[in-house]
Amino acid sequence: METLIAQLINAIALGSIYALLVIGFNLLLVVGGIFPFAYSHIVVLSMYMCWFVLKITGNNLVLGTVAAIVSGVAFSLITEPIFRPLAKRGAVLGSFIVAMAISMIITDIMSQRLNMGIVISFPQSLQGKEALVSFGTATITAGQIATIAGSIGSGIGFFYLLYRTKIGRAFRAMGQSSFSARLLGIPITKTSLFAYGIAGFLGGISSIFLAMAIGTASSTLGDNLALKVMAVAMFAGLGNLGGGLIAALILGLAEGMALAYLPGNWSQAIAFGMIMIVVMVKPKGLFGAMA
Amino acid sequence: MERNNILKIENLHVSFGPVKAIRGVSLEVNEGEIVVLIGANGAGKTTLLESILNINPSREGSICFMEEDITRKKTEHIVASGISLIPEGRGILPLMTVMENLQLGAYHFKGNLNKSLDMVYKLFPVLRKRNKQMAGTLSGGEQQMLSLARGLMSAPKLLMLDEPSLGLAPVVVNELFQILEVLNNSGYTILLSEQNAKIALELGDLGYVFETGNIVMSGDTEELQNNPRVKEAYLGV
Repeated sequence: METLIAQLINAIALGSIYALLVIGFNLLLVVGGIFPFAYSHIVVLSMYMCWFVLKITGNNLVLGTVAAIVSGVAFSLITEPIFRPLAKRGAVLGSFIVAMAISMIITDIMSQRLNMGIVISFPQSLQGKEALVSFGTATITAGQIATIAGSIGSGIGFFYLLYRTKIGRAFRAMGQSSFSARLLGIPITKTSLFAYGIAGFLGGISSIFLAMAIGTASSTLGDNLALKVMAVAMFAGLGNLGGGLIAALILGLAEGMALAYLPGNWSQAIAFGMIMIVVMVKPKGLFGAMA
Repeated sequence: MERNNILKIENLHVSFGPVKAIRGVSLEVNEGEIVVLIGANGAGKTTLLESILNINPSREGSICFMEEDITRKKTEHIVASGISLIPEGRGILPLMTVMENLQLGAYHFKGNLNKSLDMVYKLFPVLRKRNKQMAGTLSGGEQQMLSLARGLMSAPKLLMLDEPSLGLAPVVVNELFQILEVLNNSGYTILLSEQNAKIALELGDLGYVFETGNIVMSGDTEELQNNPRVKEAYLGV
């Protein structure tokens, strides 16, 4: 029983990281009008920047966190002008190809240039492995609590912005009809840049939680995450911001439980098997596209 | 008394690649007028209205609004300076509530939002009732009312409507045109594009007749109504 609770907490922590990533992904998809395959790669690149700053500041956690968030925002904003001409013409498939190119460039930079391509490891102090709660043999770590609380906080903040503010209304208007958004006088480029900034901010936060949860990062992590984020988004319905949250938690739980209770590593097969079945039965995803 | 000029278009050309949609159109709208554009589908009326907001990029000529040259300005700047377009097909945001649609109409509005809301609710009581409903669940007529109300939220100096009668029942069309008359009487300047030449010419002060990207006739709507060519081609007499 104790182990089950501990495993559940672990799975929820994993799911909440996916949820943040899927929110950022969907935001770029809906507001930016692109297929942001490289989003996860930018998140992993932010992990590297966090690691680098930790290394040169003697593991100053505050500076490491700031570095992760600033890189997330900066890298995300840098991609906006690259995607702008494609977004203007509504070339979503074209943007997918461009995003793949960006993701491969990032992956190669990480494998050739950063830490000489060797896997990076985050210090124990960042990972928060000390037990905050222990019962029997099972423990819940500070890192897990921080991840879950931080994700919930960011999620609430994001949905408040989306449904209660002027910029949030502008985001949704652009997602539903870029023509109507223009007629209403919504500044398309400025609003779009804002969306990239927020997606980058959420990506920066996720990069810290990923560092806590996994403890390491390598150049292949970007591809790995990108596939999962894309799959969760399709599982929920592309662009469905609320549905993405639920789907991310489902995937986190499935993966976490599979890791805990099945011999060997079947987590990918189970997660993607579920997604395959959902997409076969409901091609627009579990909750339908766009919201 | 000479009326103040609000909109002045001179020798406007618009093309989509090799296709010329507007070929040298000049047009004026003065304060307090209802100016109507009539003409068949594809004559270039929609292109003209969208060009005023700089939605079609490839253009020559000049467009002045309130004595400011807006030919090269961004759409958001033009909207903020006081032009609303109620587009063909209404352009409402179906997955947002009626209230959110109205709030978006006031995106650049600096005045009192509640006052604007009260004003449009008075004109369209049905919208107050449906306030929290998703705009996509409204009937066609209600959606057209919402679209017009949204355009009024920013208290525009020039209200442009593109084919507002399209797809509406005749009784709803009458209601809509009565509202346009009320708006005009309370000071709104209106530029209306309409395939239904009969009701448009009855409402308007001045009319322009469009054919394949050109203005072929213009003048007082009364004169146009009695013009034999207009009668034959557009009024079906």
